[in-house]
Amino acid sequence: MMIGTGAAGAAALAGCIGTGDSEDDGNGGNGGNGGNGNGNGGNGDAPMADEIDGWGWDVAARSLQLTAEEYNAEHDATVNIEEFGREAMKDDLQTRLASGSGAPDVSMLEMIDGPSYIDTGSVLDISDRIEEAGVYDDFVPGVWDALSDDDGIYALPWDIGPTAVYYRRDVYDEHGLDADAIETWDDFIAEGEKLPDDVSMLNLPVDDLDGVWRYQFRQLGNNPFTDDGAVNIHNEDSVMIAETIKEVYDAGIAADLDGWSTAWFGAYESGDIASLPSAAWMEGTLRAELPSTAGNWGVYKIPAHEPGGPRASNWGGSSLMIPNQIDDAERNRAWDYIEWSLATEEMQLLMYDEFGLFPALETTYDDDTFDEELDFFGGQAARRVFADVAEDIPDYQFSEDTPEVTDAINTEFERMLRDDLDPEDAVVAAAETVAERTGRDLA
Amino acid sequence: MREQRRKDAVWQFTTYVFILVMTLVMLVPLYWMIVAATLPQEQFIQFPPRLYPGTAFFENFAALQERTDFVRSIWNSVFIAVVYTVLSILLCSMAGFAFAKYEFRFKEPIFYLILATLVLPIQLLVIPLFLMMSQIDWTDTFRAIIIPWLANPIGIFLMRQNMKSIPDALLESARMDGATEFQIFYRIALPAMRSSIAALAIILFLFQWDLFLYPLVILETSANYTIPVALSGLEGTQRVYYDQIMVATSLAIIPLAILFLVLQKQFVSGILAGSLKE
Repeated sequence: MMIGTGAAGAAALAGCIGTGDSEDDGNGGNGGNGGNGNGNGGNGDAPMADEIDGWGWDVAARSLQLTAEEYNAEHDATVNIEEFGREAMKDDLQTRLASGSGAPDVSMLEMIDGPSYIDTGSVLDISDRIEEAGVYDDFVPGVWDALSDDDGIYALPWDIGPTAVYYRRDVYDEHGLDADAIETWDDFIAEGEKLPDDVSMLNLPVDDLDGVWRYQFRQLGNNPFTDDGAVNIHNEDSVMIAETIKEVYDAGIAADLDGWSTAWFGAYESGDIASLPSAAWMEGTLRAELPSTAGNWGVYKIPAHEPGGPRASNWGGSSLMIPNQIDDAERNRAWDYIEWSLATEEMQLLMYDEFGLFPALETTYDDDTFDEELDFFGGQAARRVFADVAEDIPDYQFSEDTPEVTDAINTEFERMLRDDLDPEDAVVAAAETVAERTGRDLA
Repeated sequence: MREQRRKDAVWQFTTYVFILVMTLVMLVPLYWMIVAATLPQEQFIQFPPRLYPGTAFFENFAALQERTDFVRSIWNSVFIAVVYTVLSILLCSMAGFAFAKYEFRFKEPIFYLILATLVLPIQLLVIPLFLMMSQIDWTDTFRAIIIPWLANPIGIFLMRQNMKSIPDALLESARMDGATEFQIFYRIALPAMRSSIAALAIILFLFQWDLFLYPLVILETSANYTIPVALSGLEGTQRVYYDQIMVATSLAIIPLAILFLVLQKQFVSGILAGSLKE
């Protein structure tokens, strides 16, 4: 559900609001109390509010409207879902969380933003409720880190973004590329070199590479910070990723277009770029924006860095959370609705079918819908590829300093590619920048 | 002589070419916005872009109106901005008059304190203002959008500077003739300030028109949304409805264009007023 760019700005504002208001600490205290309060509330016949509000954006909001309709029909309650713009909702929500009043009972939380919201102490700890409902193990394992801290769990996972490379079958076929032959990035480059000069193998926007780095860093099972909080974005794997990106760039098979721009969409429509490493949510965008390309797409798992290496990662994803500031009856109703929407297979599959939100609920993956041969993908059961990837997604811990990492990686990788610098120097320079700006140690 | 004239002509020619180029640079995005508003989404993302108008304006507008009641938002924005501008002009010119023409204790410190509030960014004021408004139950109302910003420091500053140019003798003779202080303000000072007021009107109107974060937080029902808040709802994560956004932004500049055209003459002289000491 998320795109790498833009998150930095929002998180920066989160920091801004957090430091501007000394009441944050007070809310933090309330958070602890709230956690205790719930444990009691969860037992037996807890009172539930008749009416609650929920906030989301775009297709996520429309998905919630769908489940709310079903929920309202089966329960004696009203869940109202309001649709916002993405950045607008974050601004509005952060203001209301920080001021301690007016926040919605349920709201969407992108995993990348998890820590910057959780750290303010304004989000309800729902670990007791998750335990009581016994749903923890129903979700893919890689999602919880982003939604937890040492004390608890603050949101229930909703959708995730298992990664894969989308490719234009017709372009691959025309120039004799074999998607099945691609297992490593070396294979990827070798196949890409078969393309004529005016067709690129992929897009690599040199000033916006943090998303690419992050999914590969996670693919190899890394975290940007160690358990002690030291900066760890310059380890061996990170060097290897930087080398890979540089090799792809130096091979001359990459275009350099701004993601989601007019030219970018145009290049995928015409087939001037043949492959698109992305995540499950991209399917919906391609269907909506490039209807003329239907039937010409396929997917394969992202290449490994070494033969036999891991090929699963995640890009984006979101969850639902409850704020501390509401009363017990509202919390109970909010949790009831969240559990209904996200922890039942029926609702998750409904949202996937209608809006392409890939379920974080692992128990859904046995469903037939994943084996359906899709016309859009030339008859490939593409969703099974994503489901396979989803089960192998490594844990990843975002932090309030994620924007600093994003910024440093983008700056240094651009320098590495444009000025032909050494990949190891680039990641070390990025790590030093992050350490300096955040006051953390280097691992 | 002739040499000089030729030089002047060359200079003038260069100036006009420069102005023409700069004008084009300014106009191209506006032109593209209007063209894009008339194109269906598929043609908008076409590369190379289509540079002449299409026929989909009304379809785009209908789609926009279906997603959010944009006509209502235009009305809301115009209503808020007009009421705000009128009230704020009155308040700012009264304050400006007092600072320019009256002597009272702590006059200078108070004035500089007001000026100092200029350094406070709106982002910093939003949380306390939101808290205040929710405590007095004003959230989701237009008065919450209008009233907190009425005493505008730029407006007070501008009016004070310009009011200073009114000769004291004029005010004094009015007093001799038995005019009350309010009559002096209303009958003498205010009419003399016409061009400054026009300039201030544009500044205040624009300020309120562009206000985003604050109304976003305060306004809750979509029927109350102002234009920027309604626009923000058109941006999602994946699919951005460029066609609708372009229709919306094209419509959103119309009231501003009208206001500026009406006040244009006074605006320029108002901004220049007080810049020369005579």
